[in-house]
Amino acid sequence: MSLPGDPRPEGPAHDPPEGPADDAPTPQGPAHDAPTPQGPADDARTPQGPAYDLPAPAGPAAAPPPEGPAYDLPAPQVVRDREWHRQSPKMLVIHPFRVLWSMAVPIVIAFIGINQSDGTWSVRLLPVLVIGALALGLIPWFTTHYRFTETQLQVRKGLINKSETTAPLDRVRSVDLESPPLHRVLGLARAKIGTGVDESRVELDGLAQDDAAQLREYLLLRGAGGRAGTVTGAAGQSPGSMPGAPGLPAGPGGEQPAGEQPAGEQPAGGRFDPGQPGSAGLAQEEVLAEIDWSWLRFAPFSLSSLVIVATALGVLFQFGDDFGILSQDRVEGTYEWLLAQAILALVLGGLLVLLVGWLLVSTANYVLQWWNLRLVREPGGTIRLTRGLLTTTSTTVEEARIRGVQLTEPLLLRAVGGGELTSLATGVGSGGTTKLLPPCPRRVAESVGHSVLGTGERLLDPTGDTPHDPGTGGDDRLDGPLTVSVRSHGPAAHRRLLVQSLWPTLFLTAGVAGLTWWLSWDWWIVAAVAVGAGLVNLGLAQLAYRNLGHQLTSEHIVSRSGALQRQRVVLERAGVIGWVVRQSFFQRRRGLADLLATTAAGPEVVTVSDIPLPWALALARQVNPTVVDQFRSAGEEP
Amino acid sequence: MSTTTGDPALRDPARKVSSRAIGYWTTTALIWEGILVAGLSVVYFVVLPERWWWATAILVLAVVGAIVEVLIVPRFKYAVHRWEVTDSAIYTRSGWLNVEQRIAPLSRVQTVDSEQGAIQRMFRLASITVTTASAAGAIEINCLDQDEARRVVADLTEITSRDEGDAT
Repeated sequence: MSLPGDPRPEGPAHDPPEGPADDAPTPQGPAHDAPTPQGPADDARTPQGPAYDLPAPAGPAAAPPPEGPAYDLPAPQVVRDREWHRQSPKMLVIHPFRVLWSMAVPIVIAFIGINQSDGTWSVRLLPVLVIGALALGLIPWFTTHYRFTETQLQVRKGLINKSETTAPLDRVRSVDLESPPLHRVLGLARAKIGTGVDESRVELDGLAQDDAAQLREYLLLRGAGGRAGTVTGAAGQSPGSMPGAPGLPAGPGGEQPAGEQPAGEQPAGGRFDPGQPGSAGLAQEEVLAEIDWSWLRFAPFSLSSLVIVATALGVLFQFGDDFGILSQDRVEGTYEWLLAQAILALVLGGLLVLLVGWLLVSTANYVLQWWNLRLVREPGGTIRLTRGLLTTTSTTVEEARIRGVQLTEPLLLRAVGGGELTSLATGVGSGGTTKLLPPCPRRVAESVGHSVLGTGERLLDPTGDTPHDPGTGGDDRLDGPLTVSVRSHGPAAHRRLLVQSLWPTLFLTAGVAGLTWWLSWDWWIVAAVAVGAGLVNLGLAQLAYRNLGHQLTSEHIVSRSGALQRQRVVLERAGVIGWVVRQSFFQRRRGLADLLATTAAGPEVVTVSDIPLPWALALARQVNPTVVDQFRSAGEEP
Repeated sequence: MSTTTGDPALRDPARKVSSRAIGYWTTTALIWEGILVAGLSVVYFVVLPERWWWATAILVLAVVGAIVEVLIVPRFKYAVHRWEVTDSAIYTRSGWLNVEQRIAPLSRVQTVDSEQGAIQRMFRLASITVTTASAAGAIEINCLDQDEARRVVADLTEITSRDEGDAT
């Protein structure tokens, strides 16, 4: 792979282009973990010892930290040769398919239309259409070029409207790979390369799968190298934040503990056997989660594939119309009774079909999406998710960009003890959230969430400078942010939620009363609606209150909310980039407020609603003491 | 209650906006409310054949609303809009019935914009918008004296450019 005279673009990569990511005075949560990708999984490393041993006898070079080999990855051929490249020739198969697929409907319509008017034409025209589509499909292959320069990836596209996109290599933050079925058959992959906050990504289609994998690894490490100084700087201050990090059982090669040495200071020399960069990368990855097919039992309880079933159902009903079984005029005469029974049977049968259909569709969807799920922490500080049965996808998020996670428990899933885990990250597009796990047991979601955050089962520090809530102290000291009990918002919030729930009841009742008066219905209907809606709404409010709460751990803010769908959002303290305190007129009367922690990650804001005002301010103060303290009321020094 | 930190309240930000803002808000309210009332009047006196009681009620409400908007609201706004910029943070407060307080550490500020509409220029006023990496985190200070706005923008730009990093 790499030659002795291998041009190494790493040089500039080690100059941190950015200073400290933030000057927030609080310790930066998972940032600690970023440069110590080995994480808590000491055991994952032991078998790989030999990988490190290989070069040891040859080069007595002082033991570099575990990242060493990672940064020394030789650049793949496509990167090194600095030439303009085309997509793989196999794309000449895929492009026309795409065009045909997207033009299928017009072609069929044209074909049928022509066929009806004049039979002979169609035979001649169809090949023309198809060939035209194929030719059209070839254009992208001829017009798309890409190349790597010393510092950039450049992609040129377009026949008439030419465009050139560039991506600075030192700023690469995410490289996602995707292989739809046709790509897989041909051994190809598509890469999407993201470089910054909220920017669109550069897409490289038609890479050979092996090249794509190498490129991904190289680009991510290169990008991480560009920022290494930043991240590692923060890491040094937190010894012991990671159970595994300081006491890494150094392999026979005798490495140093991870994260102790800024990557920028590493010798760039090739310590690693350049012949197997791939195995080097694999050697250190830590598996956070893999698919467990017993989770399949949760598939029917997640409603995310409901849309598909609803569509199928709509089609079914249309057939029902065609059969005319349900039409009114049949239900009369001597067969009336029989037909009524038939209809009953039909309805029950329909429900059964619906149920079975739902089970099948939701299970199939689960299998298709989550086949071969692997969530791993890679060297270089990235979290990588691979999954998919037909279309395989690989999503990589830089760990330092993961500012938090969210645990969602929809009603049905909660009833059977399941949950879904999502990460909140900055600059990954699509709302900044990435599903990390399928519906799975809540405990699994919690522990995987903790290991993604890098704070699993950590001891909260009740004596440190971030005193956590006295109400939940003591007993919960072994909790992580996803399991710690939340602090309820008290009677004022409870009353407010209950009173708020009366409004919809009131409007509904008024509406029904109006109708009753207008159409002179019986008045008991109004009473029934008022009582029924009132009870439902009060029940929902009660649920909402029970789910409402917040907590502050040594590194995270936790906010839980929701009535039917409960969600717990965990946001790294260092991820907070501002505060908003909102009080409506009614909230002020009750001494409550909505506290919004703004962030660049995920949905860009984490709301703690109806929290007593003093608690809100205490929370903000504990997260950003220096910033918030200066705006406190005078003379209130505790 | 929170016993660890006996901290019941944030104080108000130190500074008010320019007092000429009252004139500006009055003018804009006059224009918009004038258009609204004029439109309603045309409908009421010209289009409607009979003067239904509810139409009269709407018109009266609109006129009362307009008077409140023009004479009272600008003074309230001036009373409740406050702002402050320190070395480390920007802090604003707005709203009368629904109060909103916003704080952003300057280290997380991404852009500082100032803008001045035509009417604002007549009153020598300018507004500042400070954005962070969060869509929910933008902070506006409306209707500063334009010289002061220029100074604040310069200061903010100077302070925030000291911090490197991408402020996320």
